[in-house]
Amino acid sequence: MDTLSRIKDLAARELGIDAGKLDPNATFDTLGVDSLSFVEFMFKVEDEFGIKVSDEELNGVKCFADLERLISAALAAAGKA
Amino acid sequence: MSARRVAITGIGIVSPIGCGLEAFWRSLAEARSGVRRLPADPASSGGVQVAAPVDWDPAAHFKGPEAGTLDRVTQFALVSAAQAIAAAGFDPAQADRERVGVYWGTGMGGANTLESAYAQVYGRRDFRLRPLTVVMAMNNAAGSNVAVRWGLMGPFANFSTACSSSAMALGEAMRAIRDGRADAIVAGGAEALLTPATLAAWLAVRTLAPADAADPAASCRPFHRRRAGLVLGEGAAAFVLEEEERAQRRGARILARLTGYGNSCDAVHMSKPDRDGQVRAMREALADAGLAPRDIGYINAHGTATIVGDPVECEAIRLALGEVGERVPVSSTKSMHGHLLGAAGALELAAALMPLCEGVLPPTAHLDEPDPACAVRHVAREAERAGDLRAVMSNSFGFGGSNVVLVAERA
Repeated sequence: MDTLSRIKDLAARELGIDAGKLDPNATFDTLGVDSLSFVEFMFKVEDEFGIKVSDEELNGVKCFADLERLISAALAAAGKA
Repeated sequence: MSARRVAITGIGIVSPIGCGLEAFWRSLAEARSGVRRLPADPASSGGVQVAAPVDWDPAAHFKGPEAGTLDRVTQFALVSAAQAIAAAGFDPAQADRERVGVYWGTGMGGANTLESAYAQVYGRRDFRLRPLTVVMAMNNAAGSNVAVRWGLMGPFANFSTACSSSAMALGEAMRAIRDGRADAIVAGGAEALLTPATLAAWLAVRTLAPADAADPAASCRPFHRRRAGLVLGEGAAAFVLEEEERAQRRGARILARLTGYGNSCDAVHMSKPDRDGQVRAMREALADAGLAPRDIGYINAHGTATIVGDPVECEAIRLALGEVGERVPVSSTKSMHGHLLGAAGALELAAALMPLCEGVLPPTAHLDEPDPACAVRHVAREAERAGDLRAVMSNSFGFGGSNVVLVAERA
Protein backbone atom coordinates (compact mmCIF):
# COMPACT_ATOMS: atom_id res chain seq x y z
CA MET A 1 0.00 0.00 0.00
CA ASP A 2 1.35 3.47 -0.82
CA THR A 3 2.04 6.06 1.84
CA LEU A 4 -1.04 8.21 1.13
CA SER A 5 -3.36 5.19 1.33
CA ARG A 6 -1.87 4.22 4.67
CA ILE A 7 -2.35 7.78 5.94
CA LYS A 8 -5.96 7.76 4.73
CA ASP A 9 -6.64 4.44 6.46
CA LEU A 10 -5.18 5.78 9.66
CA ALA A 11 -7.24 8.99 9.36
CA ALA A 12 -10.39 6.91 8.92
CA ARG A 13 -9.55 4.81 11.97
CA GLU A 14 -8.27 7.50 14.31
CA LEU A 15 -10.10 10.65 13.20
CA GLY A 16 -13.29 9.19 11.73
CA ILE A 17 -12.61 10.89 8.37
CA ASP A 18 -14.07 9.06 5.35
CA ALA A 19 -10.98 7.86 3.48
CA GLY A 20 -12.82 7.76 0.13
CA LYS A 21 -13.80 11.40 0.29
CA LEU A 22 -10.58 12.71 1.76
CA ASP A 23 -9.04 15.54 -0.28
CA PRO A 24 -5.28 15.42 0.43
CA ASN A 25 -5.02 19.16 -0.15
CA ALA A 26 -7.81 20.18 2.22
CA THR A 27 -6.39 21.86 5.32
CA PHE A 28 -6.78 20.14 8.68
CA ASP A 29 -8.80 23.17 9.81
CA THR A 30 -11.44 22.61 7.15
CA LEU A 31 -11.53 18.90 7.99
CA GLY A 32 -12.28 19.78 11.60
CA VAL A 33 -8.97 18.39 12.89
CA ASP A 34 -7.88 20.74 15.67
CA SER A 35 -4.33 21.08 16.96
CA LEU A 36 -4.74 18.61 19.82
CA SER A 37 -6.38 15.99 17.59
CA PHE A 38 -3.58 16.51 15.11
CA VAL A 39 -0.87 15.98 17.71
CA GLU A 40 -2.64 12.80 18.85
CA PHE A 41 -2.91 11.70 15.20
CA MET A 42 0.81 12.30 14.64
CA PHE A 43 1.52 10.06 17.63
CA LYS A 44 -0.27 7.26 15.77
CA VAL A 45 1.46 8.17 12.49
CA GLU A 46 4.86 7.77 14.15
CA ASP A 47 3.80 4.32 15.38
CA GLU A 48 2.39 3.28 12.01
CA PHE A 49 5.47 4.27 10.00
CA GLY A 50 8.12 3.72 12.65
CA ILE A 51 9.45 7.28 12.28
CA LYS A 52 10.11 10.22 14.55
CA VAL A 53 8.94 13.71 13.52
CA SER A 54 10.26 16.82 15.26
CA ASP A 55 8.11 19.80 16.27
CA GLU A 56 9.95 21.95 13.70
CA GLU A 57 9.18 19.52 10.89
CA LEU A 58 5.49 19.57 11.83
CA ASN A 59 5.21 23.35 11.63
CA GLY A 60 4.71 23.48 7.87
CA VAL A 61 2.23 20.58 7.71
CA LYS A 62 -1.25 21.91 6.92
CA CYS A 63 -2.88 19.06 4.98
CA PHE A 64 -2.56 15.33 4.31
CA ALA A 65 -0.52 15.98 1.14
CA ASP A 66 2.06 17.90 3.25
CA LEU A 67 2.07 15.02 5.70
CA GLU A 68 2.65 12.48 2.94
CA ARG A 69 5.72 14.44 1.72
CA LEU A 70 7.06 14.65 5.25
CA ILE A 71 6.58 10.93 5.92
CA SER A 72 8.09 9.91 2.57
CA ALA A 73 11.15 12.04 3.29
CA ALA A 74 11.47 10.58 6.78
CA LEU A 75 11.17 7.03 5.41
CA ALA A 76 13.78 7.76 2.74
CA ALA A 77 16.14 9.24 5.34
CA ALA A 78 15.72 6.13 7.44
CA GLY A 79 16.34 3.94 4.43
CA LYS A 80 12.84 2.44 4.63
CA ALA A 81 11.57 3.66 1.24
CA MET B 1 -39.24 38.97 44.04
CA SER B 2 -40.16 35.58 45.40
CA ALA B 3 -37.36 33.16 46.20
CA ARG B 4 -36.11 31.11 43.27
CA ARG B 5 -36.78 27.40 43.70
CA VAL B 6 -34.88 24.54 42.11
CA ALA B 7 -36.66 21.77 40.22
CA ILE B 8 -35.21 18.41 39.20
CA THR B 9 -36.43 17.80 35.64
CA GLY B 10 -34.18 15.00 34.40
CA ILE B 11 -31.97 12.24 35.78
CA GLY B 12 -29.43 10.01 34.02
CA ILE B 13 -27.78 6.94 35.52
CA VAL B 14 -24.85 4.68 34.66
CA SER B 15 -24.57 2.19 37.51
CA PRO B 16 -23.53 -1.34 38.41
CA ILE B 17 -27.24 -2.21 38.70
CA GLY B 18 -28.51 -0.63 35.54
CA CYS B 19 -28.06 2.04 32.93
CA GLY B 20 -30.94 4.53 32.96
CA LEU B 21 -33.12 5.72 35.84
CA GLU B 22 -35.89 3.14 35.32
CA ALA B 23 -33.46 0.23 35.29
CA PHE B 24 -31.69 1.59 38.38
CA TRP B 25 -34.92 2.03 40.31
CA ARG B 26 -36.15 -1.42 39.25
CA SER B 27 -32.97 -3.04 40.59
CA LEU B 28 -33.34 -1.19 43.89
CA ALA B 29 -36.99 -2.21 44.16
CA GLU B 30 -35.98 -5.84 43.59
CA ALA B 31 -32.99 -5.59 45.95
CA ARG B 32 -30.72 -6.77 43.15
CA SER B 33 -26.99 -6.50 43.80
CA GLY B 34 -24.34 -5.60 41.22
CA VAL B 35 -21.49 -6.75 43.45
CA ARG B 36 -19.43 -9.57 42.01
CA ARG B 37 -16.13 -11.37 42.34
CA LEU B 38 -13.11 -9.81 40.62
CA PRO B 39 -10.58 -11.95 38.75
CA ALA B 40 -8.16 -13.64 41.15
CA ASP B 41 -5.10 -12.26 39.35
CA PRO B 42 -3.89 -9.18 41.29
CA ALA B 43 -2.59 -7.74 38.02
CA SER B 44 -6.22 -6.88 37.26
CA SER B 45 -7.88 -6.82 40.69
CA GLY B 46 -5.11 -5.33 42.84
CA GLY B 47 -5.84 -8.21 45.22
CA VAL B 48 -9.39 -6.99 45.91
CA GLN B 49 -11.94 -9.82 45.98
CA VAL B 50 -15.20 -8.06 45.09
CA ALA B 51 -16.40 -4.83 43.48
CA ALA B 52 -19.42 -3.48 41.62
CA PRO B 53 -18.31 -2.79 38.05
CA VAL B 54 -20.48 -1.36 35.29
CA ASP B 55 -21.14 -3.61 32.27
CA TRP B 56 -19.85 -1.19 29.67
CA ASP B 57 -19.46 -1.31 25.91
CA PRO B 58 -18.10 2.06 24.75
CA ALA B 59 -19.02 1.23 21.13
CA ALA B 60 -22.69 1.24 22.13
CA HIS B 61 -22.42 4.92 23.09
CA PHE B 62 -19.61 6.48 21.05
CA LYS B 63 -19.00 6.48 17.33
CA GLY B 64 -15.75 5.42 15.69
CA PRO B 65 -12.56 6.52 17.39
CA GLU B 66 -14.22 8.88 19.91
CA ALA B 67 -14.31 6.44 22.81
CA GLY B 68 -10.54 6.06 22.62
CA THR B 69 -10.14 9.78 23.30
CA LEU B 70 -12.29 9.77 26.47
CA ASP B 71 -11.40 8.22 29.81
CA ARG B 72 -13.95 5.73 31.14
CA VAL B 73 -15.02 8.29 33.78
CA THR B 74 -15.83 10.82 31.04
CA GLN B 75 -17.70 8.20 29.03
CA PHE B 76 -19.88 7.51 32.08
CA ALA B 77 -20.40 11.26 32.61
CA LEU B 78 -21.42 11.95 29.02
CA VAL B 79 -23.86 9.05 28.86
CA SER B 80 -25.51 9.95 32.16
CA ALA B 81 -25.76 13.63 31.13
CA ALA B 82 -27.26 12.68 27.76
CA GLN B 83 -29.95 10.65 29.55
CA ALA B 84 -30.70 13.47 31.99
CA ILE B 85 -30.94 16.10 29.26
CA ALA B 86 -33.17 13.87 27.12
CA ALA B 87 -35.40 13.03 30.12
CA ALA B 88 -35.76 16.72 30.93
CA GLY B 89 -36.94 17.36 27.37
CA PHE B 90 -34.36 20.09 27.45
CA ASP B 91 -32.90 21.27 24.16
CA PRO B 92 -29.67 23.12 24.97
CA ALA B 93 -29.59 24.54 21.44
CA GLN B 94 -32.85 26.38 22.19
CA ALA B 95 -31.72 27.60 25.61
CA ASP B 96 -29.78 30.69 26.59
CA ARG B 97 -26.67 28.59 27.06
CA GLU B 98 -24.80 31.31 28.91
CA ARG B 99 -27.38 30.77 31.66
CA VAL B 100 -26.87 26.99 31.76
CA GLY B 101 -23.89 25.58 33.65
CA VAL B 102 -22.23 22.32 34.64
CA TYR B 103 -21.37 21.41 38.25
CA TRP B 104 -19.63 18.08 38.48
CA GLY B 105 -18.00 15.86 41.11
CA THR B 106 -15.42 13.10 40.96
CA GLY B 107 -12.91 11.70 43.41
CA MET B 108 -10.11 10.61 41.12
CA GLY B 109 -11.05 11.80 37.63
CA GLY B 110 -9.33 9.93 34.81
CA ALA B 111 -7.86 7.12 36.90
CA ASN B 112 -7.65 4.67 33.99
CA THR B 113 -5.68 7.09 31.82
CA LEU B 114 -3.36 8.10 34.63
CA GLU B 115 -2.71 4.53 35.66
CA SER B 116 -1.92 3.31 32.15
CA ALA B 117 0.46 6.26 31.72
CA TYR B 118 2.26 5.35 34.95
CA ALA B 119 2.37 1.68 33.97
CA GLN B 120 4.04 2.67 30.72
CA VAL B 121 6.57 5.01 32.35
CA TYR B 122 7.45 3.09 35.50
CA GLY B 123 6.64 -0.43 34.32
CA ARG B 124 8.07 -0.39 30.81
CA ARG B 125 10.33 2.68 31.04
CA ASP B 126 8.60 3.96 27.91
CA PHE B 127 8.34 7.73 28.20
CA ARG B 128 6.51 8.34 24.92
CA LEU B 129 3.02 9.00 26.31
CA ARG B 130 0.08 9.73 24.06
CA PRO B 131 -0.67 13.45 23.63
CA LEU B 132 -4.21 13.23 25.04
CA THR B 133 -2.98 11.89 28.39
CA VAL B 134 -3.34 15.22 30.22
CA VAL B 135 -6.79 16.19 28.96
CA MET B 136 -8.11 12.66 29.48
CA ALA B 137 -6.73 12.26 33.00
CA MET B 138 -7.37 15.68 34.53
CA ASN B 139 -9.90 15.76 37.31
CA ASN B 140 -12.27 18.18 35.55
CA ALA B 141 -12.29 16.26 32.24
CA ALA B 142 -15.63 14.56 32.88
CA GLY B 143 -17.55 17.76 33.68
CA SER B 144 -15.76 19.80 31.04
CA ASN B 145 -16.66 17.29 28.36
CA VAL B 146 -20.31 17.62 29.38
CA ALA B 147 -20.07 21.41 28.96
CA VAL B 148 -18.35 21.09 25.59
CA ARG B 149 -20.74 18.44 24.26
CA TRP B 150 -23.83 20.59 24.82
CA GLY B 151 -22.21 24.03 24.60
CA LEU B 152 -23.17 24.95 28.16
CA MET B 153 -21.44 28.28 28.76
CA GLY B 154 -22.77 29.23 32.19
CA PRO B 155 -20.93 28.73 35.48
CA PHE B 156 -18.69 25.66 35.69
CA ALA B 157 -17.35 23.99 38.80
CA ASN B 158 -15.68 20.69 39.59
CA PHE B 159 -15.71 19.30 43.12
CA SER B 160 -13.32 16.71 44.46
CA THR B 161 -14.05 15.94 48.10
CA ALA B 162 -13.84 12.16 47.98
CA CYS B 163 -17.20 10.52 48.73
CA SER B 164 -19.14 13.79 49.02
CA SER B 165 -17.95 15.23 45.66
CA SER B 166 -21.12 14.87 43.61
CA ALA B 167 -23.46 15.66 46.49
CA MET B 168 -21.52 18.91 46.88
CA ALA B 169 -21.82 19.57 43.13
CA LEU B 170 -25.61 19.21 43.44
CA GLY B 171 -25.85 21.36 46.56
CA GLU B 172 -23.69 24.12 45.13
CA ALA B 173 -25.56 23.98 41.81
CA MET B 174 -28.84 24.42 43.69
CA ARG B 175 -27.37 27.47 45.43
CA ALA B 176 -26.12 28.91 42.14
CA ILE B 177 -29.60 28.66 40.61
CA ARG B 178 -31.25 30.07 43.73
CA ASP B 179 -28.80 32.97 43.74
CA GLY B 180 -29.53 33.76 40.11
CA ARG B 181 -26.09 32.85 38.80
CA ALA B 182 -27.64 30.33 36.41
CA ASP B 183 -31.12 29.26 35.28
CA ALA B 184 -30.26 25.60 34.79
CA ILE B 185 -27.31 23.39 35.65
CA VAL B 186 -26.38 19.86 34.63
CA ALA B 187 -25.03 18.55 37.92
CA GLY B 188 -23.82 15.19 39.13
CA GLY B 189 -20.74 13.06 39.34
CA ALA B 190 -18.81 10.18 37.88
CA GLU B 191 -16.20 7.73 39.10
CA ALA B 192 -14.24 4.97 37.36
CA LEU B 193 -11.30 3.85 39.45
CA LEU B 194 -11.51 0.07 39.53
CA THR B 195 -7.94 -0.08 38.26
CA PRO B 196 -5.28 -2.40 39.73
CA ALA B 197 -3.21 0.22 41.57
CA THR B 198 -6.21 2.13 42.91
CA LEU B 199 -7.83 -1.11 44.05
CA ALA B 200 -4.55 -2.10 45.73
CA ALA B 201 -4.39 1.31 47.44
CA TRP B 202 -7.93 0.83 48.77
CA LEU B 203 -7.05 -2.67 49.94
CA ALA B 204 -4.21 -1.15 51.96
CA VAL B 205 -6.70 1.03 53.88
CA ARG B 206 -8.06 -2.25 55.35
CA THR B 207 -11.63 -1.12 54.99
CA LEU B 208 -12.80 -3.27 52.04
CA ALA B 209 -15.16 -6.22 52.50
CA PRO B 210 -13.85 -9.63 51.46
CA ALA B 211 -16.07 -11.78 49.25
CA ASP B 212 -18.98 -13.31 51.12
CA ALA B 213 -18.21 -17.03 50.94
CA ALA B 214 -21.81 -18.12 50.32
CA ASP B 215 -22.88 -15.25 48.06
CA PRO B 216 -20.34 -12.74 46.68
CA ALA B 217 -23.24 -10.45 45.63
CA ALA B 218 -24.05 -10.05 49.34
CA SER B 219 -20.55 -8.94 50.35
CA CYS B 220 -21.59 -5.36 51.17
CA ARG B 221 -23.73 -5.46 54.32
CA PRO B 222 -24.40 -2.02 55.77
CA PHE B 223 -25.70 -1.98 59.39
CA HIS B 224 -25.32 -5.76 59.60
CA ARG B 225 -23.97 -7.42 62.72
CA ARG B 226 -21.35 -9.13 60.52
CA ARG B 227 -20.61 -6.26 58.15
CA ALA B 228 -17.03 -6.40 56.99
CA GLY B 229 -16.35 -3.22 55.07
CA LEU B 230 -17.21 -1.34 51.94
CA VAL B 231 -17.31 -2.56 48.34
CA LEU B 232 -16.05 -0.23 45.61
CA GLY B 233 -18.26 0.56 42.63
CA GLU B 234 -18.17 2.81 39.59
CA GLY B 235 -20.59 4.79 37.44
CA ALA B 236 -22.23 8.19 37.10
CA ALA B 237 -25.42 10.08 37.84
CA ALA B 238 -26.49 13.37 36.27
CA PHE B 239 -29.35 15.71 37.11
CA VAL B 240 -30.88 18.59 35.21
CA LEU B 241 -31.61 21.23 37.84
CA GLU B 242 -33.72 24.18 36.72
CA GLU B 243 -35.19 27.30 38.20
CA GLU B 244 -38.74 26.13 38.84
CA GLU B 245 -40.66 28.85 36.99
CA ARG B 246 -38.50 28.32 33.96
CA ALA B 247 -39.21 24.60 34.08
CA GLN B 248 -42.95 25.27 34.46
CA ARG B 249 -42.98 27.75 31.56
CA ARG B 250 -41.59 25.18 29.19
CA GLY B 251 -43.99 22.54 30.50
CA ALA B 252 -41.29 20.28 31.91
CA ARG B 253 -42.18 17.34 34.13
CA ILE B 254 -40.88 18.16 37.59
CA LEU B 255 -39.69 15.03 39.40
CA ALA B 256 -38.98 16.73 42.73
CA ARG B 257 -37.50 19.90 44.18
CA LEU B 258 -34.00 20.14 45.63
CA THR B 259 -34.44 22.33 48.68
CA GLY B 260 -31.80 21.62 51.32
CA TYR B 261 -28.02 21.53 51.35
CA GLY B 262 -25.82 21.10 54.39
CA ASN B 263 -22.04 21.16 54.23
CA SER B 264 -19.67 20.73 57.15
CA CYS B 265 -16.17 19.51 57.84
CA ASP B 266 -15.33 17.23 60.77
CA ALA B 267 -11.90 18.84 61.00
CA VAL B 268 -10.73 16.09 63.32
CA HIS B 269 -9.37 13.16 61.28
CA MET B 270 -8.66 12.19 57.66
CA SER B 271 -10.65 8.95 57.67
CA LYS B 272 -12.40 8.41 61.02
CA PRO B 273 -16.00 9.70 60.82
CA ASP B 274 -17.21 12.23 63.36
CA ARG B 275 -20.76 12.21 64.67
CA ASP B 276 -20.93 15.92 65.39
CA GLY B 277 -19.77 16.96 61.92
CA GLN B 278 -22.50 14.76 60.42
CA VAL B 279 -25.12 16.21 62.78
CA ARG B 280 -24.16 19.75 61.75
CA ALA B 281 -24.57 18.91 58.06
CA MET B 282 -27.99 17.26 58.59
CA ARG B 283 -29.26 20.15 60.69
CA GLU B 284 -28.01 22.69 58.18
CA ALA B 285 -29.71 20.86 55.30
CA LEU B 286 -33.01 20.84 57.22
CA ALA B 287 -32.71 24.52 58.09
CA ASP B 288 -31.79 25.37 54.52
CA ALA B 289 -34.96 23.62 53.31
CA GLY B 290 -37.00 25.28 56.04
CA LEU B 291 -38.18 21.87 57.23
CA ALA B 292 -38.60 20.20 60.61
CA PRO B 293 -37.29 16.66 61.27
CA ARG B 294 -40.88 15.31 61.10
CA ASP B 295 -41.06 16.36 57.42
CA ILE B 296 -38.35 13.84 56.48
CA GLY B 297 -39.88 10.52 55.46
CA TYR B 298 -36.79 8.61 54.30
CA ILE B 299 -33.02 8.85 54.67
CA ASN B 300 -30.62 7.35 52.17
CA ALA B 301 -27.69 6.81 54.51
CA HIS B 302 -24.04 7.08 53.62
CA GLY B 303 -23.87 3.57 55.17
CA THR B 304 -20.67 2.22 53.67
CA ALA B 305 -20.74 -0.98 55.79
CA THR B 306 -17.52 -0.27 57.62
CA ILE B 307 -17.30 -1.45 61.23
CA VAL B 308 -16.65 2.06 62.53
CA GLY B 309 -18.72 4.22 60.19
CA ASP B 310 -22.24 2.78 60.35
CA PRO B 311 -22.90 3.15 64.11
CA VAL B 312 -21.57 6.72 64.04
CA GLU B 313 -24.00 7.68 61.28
CA CYS B 314 -26.95 6.02 63.04
CA GLU B 315 -26.14 7.92 66.19
CA ALA B 316 -25.81 11.14 64.20
CA ILE B 317 -29.24 10.57 62.59
CA ARG B 318 -30.84 10.08 66.02
CA LEU B 319 -29.12 13.13 67.40
CA ALA B 320 -29.83 15.41 64.44
CA LEU B 321 -33.49 14.43 64.06
CA GLY B 322 -34.37 13.75 67.71
CA GLU B 323 -37.24 11.31 68.23
CA VAL B 324 -37.93 11.35 64.44
CA GLY B 325 -34.48 9.80 64.07
CA GLU B 326 -35.77 6.71 65.91
CA ARG B 327 -38.59 6.01 63.44
CA VAL B 328 -37.73 7.52 60.07
CA PRO B 329 -37.03 4.73 57.51
CA VAL B 330 -33.31 4.50 56.71
CA SER B 331 -31.45 2.39 54.16
CA SER B 332 -28.08 2.14 52.48
CA THR B 333 -28.40 1.26 48.82
CA LYS B 334 -24.63 0.73 48.71
CA SER B 335 -25.55 -2.86 49.63
CA MET B 336 -26.51 -3.19 45.94
CA HIS B 337 -24.51 -0.69 43.87
CA GLY B 338 -21.41 -0.52 46.05
CA HIS B 339 -19.60 2.70 46.91
CA LEU B 340 -19.34 4.98 43.89
CA LEU B 341 -17.12 7.41 45.84
CA GLY B 342 -17.18 10.71 43.93
CA ALA B 343 -20.38 9.67 42.13
CA ALA B 344 -22.05 8.23 45.25
CA GLY B 345 -23.88 11.38 46.36
CA ALA B 346 -25.55 11.93 42.99
CA LEU B 347 -26.44 8.26 42.50
CA GLU B 348 -27.86 8.04 45.99
CA LEU B 349 -29.93 11.20 45.60
CA ALA B 350 -31.55 9.39 42.66
CA ALA B 351 -32.19 6.43 44.98
CA ALA B 352 -33.54 8.76 47.68
CA LEU B 353 -36.11 10.16 45.24
CA MET B 354 -37.74 6.72 44.80
CA PRO B 355 -40.17 7.21 47.73
CA LEU B 356 -41.27 10.58 46.28
CA CYS B 357 -41.49 9.52 42.63
CA GLU B 358 -42.33 5.81 42.85
CA GLY B 359 -43.83 5.38 46.31
CA VAL B 360 -41.14 2.82 47.13
CA LEU B 361 -38.58 2.78 49.95
CA PRO B 362 -35.39 1.17 48.60
CA PRO B 363 -33.90 -1.36 51.03
CA THR B 364 -30.60 -2.16 52.64
CA ALA B 365 -30.15 -5.52 50.92
CA HIS B 366 -28.90 -8.58 52.87
CA LEU B 367 -29.80 -6.97 56.22
CA ASP B 368 -31.11 -10.03 58.06
CA GLU B 369 -29.30 -9.27 61.32
CA PRO B 370 -29.10 -5.56 62.11
CA ASP B 371 -26.34 -4.57 64.52
CA PRO B 372 -27.90 -3.25 67.76
CA ALA B 373 -25.23 -0.53 67.58
CA CYS B 374 -26.97 0.68 64.41
CA ALA B 375 -30.31 1.44 66.00
CA VAL B 376 -32.44 3.18 63.40
CA ARG B 377 -35.65 2.12 61.63
CA HIS B 378 -34.18 0.00 58.83
CA VAL B 379 -35.75 -0.76 55.48
CA ALA B 380 -34.25 -4.23 55.71
CA ARG B 381 -33.70 -6.75 52.90
CA GLU B 382 -36.71 -5.85 50.77
CA ALA B 383 -38.25 -2.65 49.44
CA GLU B 384 -41.34 -1.32 51.20
CA ARG B 385 -44.26 0.82 50.12
CA ALA B 386 -43.66 4.41 51.09
CA GLY B 387 -46.36 6.33 52.88
CA ASP B 388 -47.37 9.80 51.79
CA LEU B 389 -44.16 11.60 52.54
CA ARG B 390 -43.06 15.13 51.93
CA ALA B 391 -39.29 15.11 51.86
CA VAL B 392 -36.23 12.83 51.78
CA MET B 393 -32.63 13.20 52.90
CA SER B 394 -29.42 11.81 51.42
CA ASN B 395 -26.15 11.66 53.36
CA SER B 396 -22.65 11.69 51.85
CA PHE B 397 -19.62 11.71 54.10
CA GLY B 398 -16.14 11.74 52.61
CA PHE B 399 -12.58 10.99 53.67
CA GLY B 400 -11.04 14.23 54.82
CA GLY B 401 -14.12 14.83 56.98
CA SER B 402 -16.31 16.41 54.28
CA ASN B 403 -20.01 15.96 55.10
CA VAL B 404 -22.72 16.85 52.60
CA VAL B 405 -26.44 16.35 53.17
CA LEU B 406 -29.12 16.99 50.55
CA VAL B 407 -32.87 17.34 51.09
CA ALA B 408 -35.39 16.96 48.28
CA GLU B 409 -39.14 17.53 48.41
CA ARG B 410 -42.17 16.32 46.55
CA ALA B 411 -42.86 18.58 43.54
